Amino acid sequence: MSDSQRTAPRLLPPENLAGPALSAVTMVMSFLACLALGSAILSDRAADRWLARATSAMSVQIVETRLLSAEEQLPAVMRELQATPGIAAVNVLERGDLIALLEPWLGAGNIGEDLPLPLLIEITPDRQTSLSTKALQAQLKAVAPGARLDTHGRWRETLETTAFALTLFAGLVLAMVTLATATVILFATRAGLQANEEILNVLHQIGAQDGYISRRFEAHFVRTVCIASLAGLAASVGFFYALGGLVADAREGAFLLLLTPVPLAAIFLSWQVTRRYVLRHLRAQL
Amino acid sequence: MIRLDNVSLAYEPGRPVLDNLSLDIPAGAFRFLTGASGAGKTSLLKLIFLAHMASAGRVELMGQDIAALSRKQLAAMRRHIGVVFQDFRLIEHLSVYDNVTLPLRIAGQKPAAWHQNAVELLNWVGLGDRLEALPATLSGGEKQRAAIARAVISQPRLIIADEPTGNVDPDMGERLVRLLVELNKMGTTIVIATHDRHLWENFDFPRLHLQQGRIQQMEGGL
Repeated sequence: MSDSQRTAPRLLPPENLAGPALSAVTMVMSFLACLALGSAILSDRAADRWLARATSAMSVQIVETRLLSAEEQLPAVMRELQATPGIAAVNVLERGDLIALLEPWLGAGNIGEDLPLPLLIEITPDRQTSLSTKALQAQLKAVAPGARLDTHGRWRETLETTAFALTLFAGLVLAMVTLATATVILFATRAGLQANEEILNVLHQIGAQDGYISRRFEAHFVRTVCIASLAGLAASVGFFYALGGLVADAREGAFLLLLTPVPLAAIFLSWQVTRRYVLRHLRAQL
Repeated sequence: MIRLDNVSLAYEPGRPVLDNLSLDIPAGAFRFLTGASGAGKTSLLKLIFLAHMASAGRVELMGQDIAALSRKQLAAMRRHIGVVFQDFRLIEHLSVYDNVTLPLRIAGQKPAAWHQNAVELLNWVGLGDRLEALPATLSGGEKQRAAIARAVISQPRLIIADEPTGNVDPDMGERLVRLLVELNKMGTTIVIATHDRHLWENFDFPRLHLQQGRIQQMEGGL
């Protein structure tokens, strides 16, 4: 056989290195990491949309005071709202609309004609001009003591907190998956070093540099993790595609593209863990 | 080539295997290293082929103080030392050809540059028809010849052999030593540790006898 027909031999036999077990664990970890990352992205997008809707809808509630009824305060409130920059439109809700809003809580037919209801004005902010809600609140109080501006701040805060908690949770899951994957690779590398000790001694004795030996291990583990993490990514894409029936964003190409850093990170992690562990092991020898 | 000054080696504190040993082997020399079992022959060889560092004293190889070398420099120096082990230490899943040419691959040389020489060397040691054989299918003599071929393929300046004839019959043992003698004639320094009295009686080279951690220089054939 001529030299050109020969391929460079694999110095570490595959049977002496972790194979199917490492692949299976890495695939599952990659799938979980994609799931955590994808869920965080989807929940963050949903929260952004809900927040955009929440900030685009404000309302003014007018209740009667000792001196003035709600109706008596309405003209002054309307004048103030129409004169305030940053407001695109105002709409006074009819009594029928208010009853429709309350019926889910009070039950249909339970709201009598004699039940006093506040006046509710929907405000649509002008997105081109900024609106100071604090100033508006003060102005309304000045002209109508029974008027209260509702910016849905509490609901928005809850939404923001929930979105942050979901992101934090996804981050924690990613951190745990990373740690577990690094540990599995580390144990596989250690087992590989032990199983190939005689070969390492020969390589060492005939003058192989530490980097040369390390690259044999790196090549094996990076190849294994690359294939397994891509399989995990494919499985997660399938999952999100199926989820697309419930969450439309989950089928978007741009969203699925955001999951690709997971296998890249797994490959980088396996490369670094293997390299550092093998070099440290070799340096402990002469 | 090899210079040891007051060298000691202890695997456990207070129990030296080699104690305050001094030795000087010039370049191009051929030496047998003899001594009773447990006298420290293998330990001494391990110091010389850089498998161990001395606990005390100075080891100088090819004019360089070993203690002053970095890991990279030590690896580079090992490429100038061919080692033949008693247990061959061939890599079981590699063919004879791949085992023998491993030092050249590790040195980063292109196969095109050495393929022909490697085949010629394997023919020279009588393994020309066993290039693709796995070590498990070789006889003891074939394994030892493959181990010698691996030790010499990168044309090292020093060859260390630890009981190279221990696992082969006397005729084969003598043939293997003749092979090393041929290499010595080309300028390679050879050190052979052996129990085999026939070897140092049949080959007229100086013998270093290790006894109680000390070296005694004896003339060949004694």
